[in-house]
Amino acid sequence: MNWTHVKLILGREIRDQLRDRRTMFLIVVMPVLLYPLMMSVAKISQLAEERPARVLVLGARYLPDEPPLLENNRFVPGLFSAGEKRRLLELVFEGDEPARPGQPPRDLRARAKAAVLEGQFEAALYIPPDFADRLARFQQAVRQQVAESLTRSVGAASAFTLATPVPRPEVFYTTAGRRSQTAFALLSAVLSKWTESIGRRSLEAAGVPQAAAAPVETEAIDVAEETGHRGAALWASTLPVLLVIWALTGAFYPAVDLCAGEKERGTLETLLSSPAGRNEIVLGKLATVMLFSSVSTVLNLGGMVLLGTMVFARGFGTPPAQAWVWLPVALVPISALFSALCLALAALARSTKEGQYYLTPLLLLTLPLAVVPAVTGMELNLGNSLIPVAGIVLVLREALAGNAWQAAQFLPPVVTVTLVACVLAVRWAVEQFNKESVLFREGERLEVRLWLRQMIRQRGPRPAPAAALLCGMVILAVQFFLGTAMRTPASFAEFAATTLVTQLAAVVAPAAIMAVMLTSDPRGTLLFRRAPGRGVVAAVLLAVALQPLARQLEQAVLWLYPLPESVGDQMARYLAVLQHVPLWQLILVLALVPAVCEELAFRGFILSGFRQSGAKWRAIVWTAVLFGLSHPVLQQSLVSATLGVVIGLLAWNTGSLLPCAAFHFTHNALMVASEWLASWHARWPALDYIYRPSEDGRLEFTWLALALGSAGAAALVWWFQRRAECGAVAPPNPYQDPSALVAGPAEP
Amino acid sequence: MIEVRGLTKHYRDLRRGRLVALDGISFDAAEGEIFGLLGPNGAGKTTTLRILSTVLRPTAGTARINGYDVVSQAAEVRRQIGFMSANTAVYDRMTAWEMVEYFGRLHGIAPAALRERMEQLFDRLQMNDFRDLLGAKMSTGMKQKVSIARAIVHDPPVVILDEATVGLDVLAARALLRSVAELREHGKCVVYSTHIMREAEKLCDRVAIIHRGRILVQGTLAELRERYAQHDLEELFFQLVSQYEAGRLPAAAETP
Repeated sequence: MNWTHVKLILGREIRDQLRDRRTMFLIVVMPVLLYPLMMSVAKISQLAEERPARVLVLGARYLPDEPPLLENNRFVPGLFSAGEKRRLLELVFEGDEPARPGQPPRDLRARAKAAVLEGQFEAALYIPPDFADRLARFQQAVRQQVAESLTRSVGAASAFTLATPVPRPEVFYTTAGRRSQTAFALLSAVLSKWTESIGRRSLEAAGVPQAAAAPVETEAIDVAEETGHRGAALWASTLPVLLVIWALTGAFYPAVDLCAGEKERGTLETLLSSPAGRNEIVLGKLATVMLFSSVSTVLNLGGMVLLGTMVFARGFGTPPAQAWVWLPVALVPISALFSALCLALAALARSTKEGQYYLTPLLLLTLPLAVVPAVTGMELNLGNSLIPVAGIVLVLREALAGNAWQAAQFLPPVVTVTLVACVLAVRWAVEQFNKESVLFREGERLEVRLWLRQMIRQRGPRPAPAAALLCGMVILAVQFFLGTAMRTPASFAEFAATTLVTQLAAVVAPAAIMAVMLTSDPRGTLLFRRAPGRGVVAAVLLAVALQPLARQLEQAVLWLYPLPESVGDQMARYLAVLQHVPLWQLILVLALVPAVCEELAFRGFILSGFRQSGAKWRAIVWTAVLFGLSHPVLQQSLVSATLGVVIGLLAWNTGSLLPCAAFHFTHNALMVASEWLASWHARWPALDYIYRPSEDGRLEFTWLALALGSAGAAALVWWFQRRAECGAVAPPNPYQDPSALVAGPAEP
Repeated sequence: MIEVRGLTKHYRDLRRGRLVALDGISFDAAEGEIFGLLGPNGAGKTTTLRILSTVLRPTAGTARINGYDVVSQAAEVRRQIGFMSANTAVYDRMTAWEMVEYFGRLHGIAPAALRERMEQLFDRLQMNDFRDLLGAKMSTGMKQKVSIARAIVHDPPVVILDEATVGLDVLAARALLRSVAELREHGKCVVYSTHIMREAEKLCDRVAIIHRGRILVQGTLAELRERYAQHDLEELFFQLVSQYEAGRLPAAAETP
């Protein structure tokens, strides 16, 4: 690495960006102008908001004089929570003239409904005829009954009945209109206050003190006033999200200009033929993008905070002082991560225009990671701190809310995860810069139809990595739609049918169809090869040896990420269906079917595809990740993905699907057979050295079993590796097929 | 100086599937010589030169420049060459002076020496009128001059020029050809690709005619004229390509 080159590239790119008016406008001018402008725009919308809603009042003459609801053709001021809200309702009165003799009385209720339906009014208030008289009769009845109950024994009060119900006033509104909903909300508040005062008067008239109706009043005291963190929660949940959004968008535009823009302008090749190496070019560009991302974030946050403090200071106070320490600390890793991601994506793009299309998906994928922890009650714990981006947001949220010490405790895992993510993202970016298919694909437009046609017509013996990824995505999508369409099974037969249909339609079908259509050797692709018996036996033994470790892993995952109650309930419903089903049936449905179907798709088609990239571990890990994702529960996904790596290794080393399916089957069968194993434990106490059933019905393996199992598993993995190296089974070498050399859809 | 042996390059293309862009070509070029690579569009000239400039990696075969291998010693190769093609554009937001200076510094030339070298180059290529003009505002001729200055600022022993006169008017093209001829006088090894036969006739000491990724024939102009009894290079070129298309010319990649 020549640091002079990096420094030179950084200097040039900075100067280049500073001379680009668009970038400067987006990064510097926008934050300065945007927020004041936003306030002006917001003011305009406020003006629009405050146009009063028109409310038709029908039958006002039936209202009682006391307590008054109306005064000078408006509602009584005291009925509004805030005086200025009174302006928001404009009342129009109808139907107060007495019916003319000889004509039927008007149907006021029908008129009220029609007035809203036809859109003449936002809402209508209908007071039924004789409302005041019947209310008076009701109050009279209350007075009488109270007086009577006082003369009788106390217990008789339960016989208190209200013989004369009061007709209800009705409010017509429509949820189809926003202003109608606002009018309804205001009307409801006014009417409920008015009803309260009717109630109070009734009590008073009956000789019961008013306070009896509302004897307790609570008072709220904000202790944050004393710590100086008034309103900190609001800042704590908004600032981290804004930090993420601005760091991402601030990185995106420079990245697109520095990569896709250079490709478009034809200067990238100039740089590539200079003495600067690809790593140096990426680092120089990365540092530039990071710088602009950071500056843009600081300016935007500064602008927002300044304005927020000035305009809303009364509402939620100034941001806590520690924000000025924590935000910059968090900004560095966040902008490094996003800069690297943006750079790699931008390198993929052929033009600035194409590059800009990538922003929306990137934002959509990143936002949940920032918004969910900031806004929901997601806790800062070890498990959550290990999630990229979300961990940083959680730590920031805690720190800004004044819990600096708790936040600091989780810094090590958060920093480690972010660093790892950063390194991976940078490596991806460097890789993009080393790929000819990425750097020189400006000549040809990617046309999906052409690409598919070529994949089908000129299919090689194995699928391309892109086809493998496509297969994984199709499986996930079909699973998702089937999952939402199917209801929770009510019986085991239904459960078995659901499982079989899902496995065949969502897992086997895409892989099998793609293998037939996109490859010239579907059997080889799906690893339909005989494996030596020893390999299959060894795979079964490996699954047995790994069982204690797998269960330990499951426990660790559940400890890190406890199952939410809703998911627990859902699983309990499934388990209820599985109770009292013979073991062999359970094994058939829960072990054999998934072992065959999932292995066919994941270690068969998908791994064969990823294998074409030539990178062993990446192929295995990507397959395992997709395999993990195909399991519905997050906690399950983590365990499955880990086991997926082991099965991937088996597939790589044996080149046959049989050992993979054998491992998968054995693992699932052992998991299903917990109860049966527990019964064996009861019969044969010596098993105590290996496992014992715990109180909640799980199996707990001993440390001895764990140690022996791990050692055995390591030995078996070593054995598989050795056999592959000795050429017992040679994995097909992608380089023997020259067409496999160039991956990716297009090159010049 | 340049040794190319069995250079092969495969691409994958959406319309045509696997495409053999170069099919085992071999040639040599020595110092003080302009070696012309002649061929129609899509013959494989740009691919060859991109491999020589280490921007692309060959699928098979080797290429050595001044003794350095283009794959295993790519960084060293880039120091030995100046590469200019239709795809090596000038930065829009840099002036002529800044652009040449930037590449000079990437080549590790000390500031004082670089300044002296640049003054010389700017005089020689008559670039002083627009030394402070931004790339975006330059004419094609100006940009081409900046590209040449950028490619030879570090005084490389090998200069690789790919279709260097594309888009230039007659005056600018003449000026450029004169500059290339001067490079030979300075003892450089120049590889010059073009599809314009007159340029090759004027400039090149030896040429190779390349078509569909193969070298059909190579040698000095005099040798070729004599061998095929055809004085006009354009006619000679047309004759060879037609023969090859008709299957009458064997894959005559003549190994030097």
